[in-house]
Amino acid sequence: MLNKIQNLNYLLIFLVILISFIGAAGLYSAAGGSYSPWASRHLIRLLVFIFLAIALALINIKYIYQFAYIFFVLSLLLLLSVELIGVFGKGATRWINLFGFSIQPSELIKITIILALARFYHDLKFDEIKRIKNLFFPILILFLPFALVVIQPDLGTALSIAMLGILILFASGIRIWKFVLGFFVLILSIPLSLNSLQPYQKDRIFSFLNPEADALGRGYQLIQSKIALGSGGLTGKGFLEGSQAYLQYLPEKQTDFIFTLIGEEFGFIGTMFIILLFLLLISVCFYVSIKSNHIFGRILSIGVGSNLFIYVIMNISMVSGLMPVVGIPLPLVSYGGSAMLAIIISIGLVLNAELNGSLKKLHNA
Amino acid sequence: MFYSEDKKQYSVLNRRTFLLYLLKVSFFGIVGWRLYDIQIKDSQKYKTLSKNNQIDIEIIYPIRGKIYDTNNKVLASNIKVFDVYIIPENTENINKTLNELNQIININFSDRRKILELSKKVKKFQKIKVLENINWSQLEKIESNKLNIEGIFISQDYMRTYQFDNTVSHLIGYTNKPNREEVELPFISNMPNLEIGKDGIEKSFNPNLIGKSGQREIEVNSYGRVIREISRQDSQKGNDIQVTIDLRIQEYALNLLKEHKAGSVVLMDINNGNILCMASTPSYNPNKIIKKPNKEYWNSILENELSPLTYRSIQGLYAPGSTFKMVVAIAGIIHGIIDTNTKHFCSGKIGLGDRLYHCWKNNGHGSMNVSDAIKESCDVFFYEISKKIGIDKISKVAEDFGLGKIYDIPLPNQKKGIIPSREWKKKKYDESWYPGETLISAIGQGFVLTNPLQLAVMTSIIASNGKNVKPNIIKKNNDIEFNKLEKYQNAIKIIKSSMFKVVNESKGTAYNSRSTSAPFAGKTGTSQVRRITVAERESEDFRKKEVEWKKRDHALFVGYMPVENPKYAVSVVIEHGGSGASTAAPIAKEIFQFTKNLEI
Repeated sequence: MLNKIQNLNYLLIFLVILISFIGAAGLYSAAGGSYSPWASRHLIRLLVFIFLAIALALINIKYIYQFAYIFFVLSLLLLLSVELIGVFGKGATRWINLFGFSIQPSELIKITIILALARFYHDLKFDEIKRIKNLFFPILILFLPFALVVIQPDLGTALSIAMLGILILFASGIRIWKFVLGFFVLILSIPLSLNSLQPYQKDRIFSFLNPEADALGRGYQLIQSKIALGSGGLTGKGFLEGSQAYLQYLPEKQTDFIFTLIGEEFGFIGTMFIILLFLLLISVCFYVSIKSNHIFGRILSIGVGSNLFIYVIMNISMVSGLMPVVGIPLPLVSYGGSAMLAIIISIGLVLNAELNGSLKKLHNA
Repeated sequence: MFYSEDKKQYSVLNRRTFLLYLLKVSFFGIVGWRLYDIQIKDSQKYKTLSKNNQIDIEIIYPIRGKIYDTNNKVLASNIKVFDVYIIPENTENINKTLNELNQIININFSDRRKILELSKKVKKFQKIKVLENINWSQLEKIESNKLNIEGIFISQDYMRTYQFDNTVSHLIGYTNKPNREEVELPFISNMPNLEIGKDGIEKSFNPNLIGKSGQREIEVNSYGRVIREISRQDSQKGNDIQVTIDLRIQEYALNLLKEHKAGSVVLMDINNGNILCMASTPSYNPNKIIKKPNKEYWNSILENELSPLTYRSIQGLYAPGSTFKMVVAIAGIIHGIIDTNTKHFCSGKIGLGDRLYHCWKNNGHGSMNVSDAIKESCDVFFYEISKKIGIDKISKVAEDFGLGKIYDIPLPNQKKGIIPSREWKKKKYDESWYPGETLISAIGQGFVLTNPLQLAVMTSIIASNGKNVKPNIIKKNNDIEFNKLEKYQNAIKIIKSSMFKVVNESKGTAYNSRSTSAPFAGKTGTSQVRRITVAERESEDFRKKEVEWKKRDHALFVGYMPVENPKYAVSVVIEHGGSGASTAAPIAKEIFQFTKNLEI
């Protein structure tokens, strides 16, 4: 036990804490120089979740392996219950109240998807991977949550689930031609899916294509976030000096657009620093993956790293106008408990995978 | 066998992991490059946009300059008025607030609906104007009930006010919102809501009276709510203007004019050309134009056939009648056609061609020299001499005496009038001049048209022994010296003694109006507004008959006072007043006596 604590990957923990602190600073600024309402809660969550993650890291990986499918099914049921509440209750929602906490199951499910896929490929013999029938189960694991999230509707999360699945399947060694085929199927299904989009989602896509056309309506968020980033320049306007957020030109400045606030106050240097921290975080996940001696640990670490990657790239692309505004937070920086819990727990899983990386036997229950 | 020892699988996984990592690094590169574009390359553009986001400019309107009379009496100034607004976010129920307000000041139904509609459209913190220009007592009532009236905001504004209602309205004018063309005027520049002068001094001196706008740079947030003031440059009050009008005389003159439907009194200081009084009736009340709603009042003005907006003293054109005879006599003297001994016999009419030209006195005046002809206003004498002088020489002298001119005074829409000549007629009608028209012109009828101010200037030039007096309406500190028209010296001397006789000798047409307290000299005029038929002329005493007001003659009088070293010149025109002797001369007398008593 003590040995395990000593062998924890403290670089990973340090990076999580550092990025979260930067997030707290951004939230402090977003509140006009105040810990309430966001920064203080952000820090408290960090503290709680870090201990949770370390506790998770110390568990024997075989329990995690054993419970992987159960976790997945549980989180799928949570997601389903959100749907049902939405249908029979108070209208569309993404939240569910669990033990007094408001939780967004769509954030948690990404982690259990990673676990489920990790277990599946761990159990599958390498020669079996080639067989088409063995694509059925992983696609089911991806499709069920994907479909539930799409009808919420939460386009951003749905997209990130799909990307996560593709990255993990790629990492697990699926033949390249299957991806090419899948890609064409996707392209062909675009017109179909456009038709089934909600009007506000179409708006978002069109506003992405030409934000200036409707500066006060749909394109407003995007223009304002670019103004915030751009006016930051190289070194930024200085901590607490960002006028865009202070004057409420920035929409959702404490959640999805927190990166632009940091960009305004700390400039290009600040944004590059954050990007490099994330790259480092992901690199550590990949390092753990390569080092791991079992497929479960490998897929798990790659999955967690890929999940982080998807969050970061989607969020920054979104606020800098590289893709439509779809509502994806910046991990550890944006305010929001569910995403932070999911991210830190997934880091806990990577910590665990590293500690148990050289485990020779991983028994199926 | 649970865990795979297949080396091949691990090498595939390693390769895939490496590819994936490469993909991720390159994506990071892409967003990094994107951020470089926004934050470094286009930074300047976004910095400007960011600034524009935040800063709004608010115009601070200047306070309009005041207008004073010659004795520093305020004629036009600004009073504080109050506008009442509702701020939706500060009241729970706009309807309730409106009800409370309605108990103090009536808010009509349609206004109320507009306010309620507007309150749904604007942002919660934006003010909605409910009442405009309420006065002190209304404000007090609102203030004392303020606790019951939720969400109201009272702002202070200035409203133009004219202390003497109708008294100087034509001269001063009034202010109003600029129309579409006026908005382009340079002095309005950035103040679209500025009230500007629309007539009179208010209009002519807009650039001086308006002052300079100030501005407030304010930081606003994305909803337009003001966060703080960044800088403030206060507005500069407009310049004050002092006119030469003496309000006391002006009021007095208007009082005299009250008895008549329409007319004008102009009083000038001969020595400097200052216009001391320039009253015109009917007039209007500028305060009623300014106070909105003014639609009813506007319509009453526009529908009034006497057109109260017309400043008769400078915009009313009248045949000068016999007041023009001085000009004709002077032309005769300087051209050597008559001297003091030249006599003509008046039998009541003369013939020219196939027409008869009548004297106002049907029986005739008998033998007349120039002095008698002016004193008794004999028409035939002037018919006779005009034949010899010719119209062109008469019109030249008339112009020298200030007739047929627009003066360089800052009052809009002066009417020039007509001093006819051969050339003028050719140009205007493409017709040659008929000799009979000279005769008619010689008694100030026919084509001749002058405005009352021109008659006052003519009289001033005569009274000052031929100084080229120019009228002036804005008070100046330095004295003005007018140059003398030397060639008229001798003629003017003769004319002045004749004008003295008009008022101060029996048989003089204005003898009844002579004054012992303020002796003056002058000349009556009665100008026809229509042709008198032969039948009428033959009927006994046709002038005394009650004729329809519109058909009556205009009554005129011009004069100066004192007789020696004159100081004041007057012109009185009463529209359809009957005769100059009976109607206009008494008013001139009153004005002279009143002015003398003021001991200016």
